Amino acid sequence: MSFLEIANISKTFGNVTAVSDVSLEIARGEFVTFLGPSGSGKSTTLYMIAGFFEPTRGDVRLEGRSILSEPSNKRNIGMVFQRYTLFPHLSVAENVAFPLRVRRRPAAEIAGKVEEMLALVRLESFAGRMPAQLSGGQQQRVALARALAYNPPLLLMDEPLSALDKKLREEIQDEIRRIHRQTGVTILYVTHDQEEALSLSDRIALFNHGKIEQLGKGRELYEAPRTRFVADFIGHSNFLDCTIARSHGGFADITLPDGSALERVAVHGDARAGGRGGLMIRPDRLRLSPLRGENGPGIDVVLSDATFIGETYHFVLTTGWGASVNMRMPASLARADDVTIGTNLRLHWEASDASLFGQ
Amino acid sequence: MTVTDVPMAPQSPAARRGGRGFAPVLPALALVVLVFVIPVLALLLRSVLEPAPGLQNYATFFGSTTYLKVLGNTFLVAFTVTVVTVLLGFPVAWFLAIAPSFWSRLLFAIVILSMWTNLLARTYAWMVLLQRTGVINRTLMNLGLISEPLPLINNLVGVTIGMTYIMLPFMILPLHATIRSIDPAIFQAASLCGASRFQAFTRVMLPLTASGIAAGALMVFVMSLGYFITPALLGGTANMMLAELIAQLVQSLLDWGLAGAAALVLLVITLAIYMVQLRFFGFGQARG
Repeated sequence: MSFLEIANISKTFGNVTAVSDVSLEIARGEFVTFLGPSGSGKSTTLYMIAGFFEPTRGDVRLEGRSILSEPSNKRNIGMVFQRYTLFPHLSVAENVAFPLRVRRRPAAEIAGKVEEMLALVRLESFAGRMPAQLSGGQQQRVALARALAYNPPLLLMDEPLSALDKKLREEIQDEIRRIHRQTGVTILYVTHDQEEALSLSDRIALFNHGKIEQLGKGRELYEAPRTRFVADFIGHSNFLDCTIARSHGGFADITLPDGSALERVAVHGDARAGGRGGLMIRPDRLRLSPLRGENGPGIDVVLSDATFIGETYHFVLTTGWGASVNMRMPASLARADDVTIGTNLRLHWEASDASLFGQ
Repeated sequence: MTVTDVPMAPQSPAARRGGRGFAPVLPALALVVLVFVIPVLALLLRSVLEPAPGLQNYATFFGSTTYLKVLGNTFLVAFTVTVVTVLLGFPVAWFLAIAPSFWSRLLFAIVILSMWTNLLARTYAWMVLLQRTGVINRTLMNLGLISEPLPLINNLVGVTIGMTYIMLPFMILPLHATIRSIDPAIFQAASLCGASRFQAFTRVMLPLTASGIAAGALMVFVMSLGYFITPALLGGTANMMLAELIAQLVQSLLDWGLAGAAALVLLVITLAIYMVQLRFFGFGQARG
């Protein structure tokens, strides 16, 4: 039996549908991320689990029991918010003690638990500080300690790192991963940052327009995106407009705008002969060569921009029909004449690295 | 009050210009010295010089049960008005902070408009409402709830009702500023932490709004201590408040010395209360 079961929940605000018939089962101890652009329904879904919104339809069951009839203070769920929500009038230790105090736990137990939680987030020496004396990252770690102090079986995190800078974000991501391993708590994490989702989660539910577009391990979403939206959202993608000449058993023959034809391209979604589609290739799966006539599919391009960003070069290439293609190449592999703007080059890829999304 | 949350950066332009930053304050300061400090000092001087040098005016004031009763009345009314405005003002301030903008703007307009309406007009309106044959007594009698008109005017009840109404905005406005500065997500966090509504109120809401309550209460209490028009119109001669007494001493009895003594007593009490407030809440530097 699944630990947390979200069964066909929907939420409408007036005549706006924020969440539309979302179902999801989560195992105990799993780390699941709701990923998606803003307004995709991921936070609304989380807030329904927290008890701040009531679903218009559907049910949420924790360990087999519906929790919808319980107010949020009875749900025994932990949550870390996007904004800093430490109680500003209480010290760090008192913030962590708060959930135990409202549960009227004995003083000795509270003291022990506060110490344990502050050790967990490595802020023992900050026990006496006030929230205003902490950095944003420290505040969110205290919020995490507070949310875990009462051993909730489920921890919700609503973009907890979005207010922090990139380096700090990565540091705290490591902390969150460690704490997840250490405590075994089931985590539902909301973010619009795909890298954060990929690095943290066991599974990702990618939200779009109030629905889950695809659910799976990060690698599955990256390597086998089911829709163009998923391919576009997870990782960087190039989409080359094309016409579908023939469609047969999961493969299609297509024609690119410059007339070059490609055979047997794997198809995702609908692809009818005569229809239009997008040929998807990841920027890191592309290769460049000055020569024509290499094996495999390819097109002629002109280099229009090259940016050196540390380990990689980022190239922008313009196709014969004026479309832009992004490509990344390890800096160590780039030759001097590769990075001369205006050079005519041949862009090619392995047939298995390209796939077609119908429109 | 939120302005004080901004840390005063040492490199602020005013600081860099040094003492010249003080210049804009001078005209107002001159006015205050001219029309407030000097007359008050003059009055205080008369309290120890008239009719003869010495403290006899203070001895008279504190030796008379009549005057002490006036002082007691003043405190009783100011205290009651403060407590009632906190109790009535808090829900209003909270509603103003969280209501949809249409309703909060409407309510805000009502609060402000009532504050801007002429004070005498408002006080006379209460006379109409509170008198023996007024709307309130007639309604209660028609409903059969009372057989005799309630004594609502010319006593401390009338003064308290009228002043509570007049002081309410001075409680609502600072409280509203404080409540609005609290992120509502804090209450969501408190709820998920397991706090009931009552616990969220007592353990989070009240501590976070304490400075606003204190600021509003100080304002209302101090203004009430020295209030004149409403007690004069709605109160009775048997139950005077201090400001009325001072006016009577000056206007009817021409006893400037005793009036000065009473004024100094009021000033000292006011300053003492202000000191207590500063001691506990600083210069409004606590949240709010």
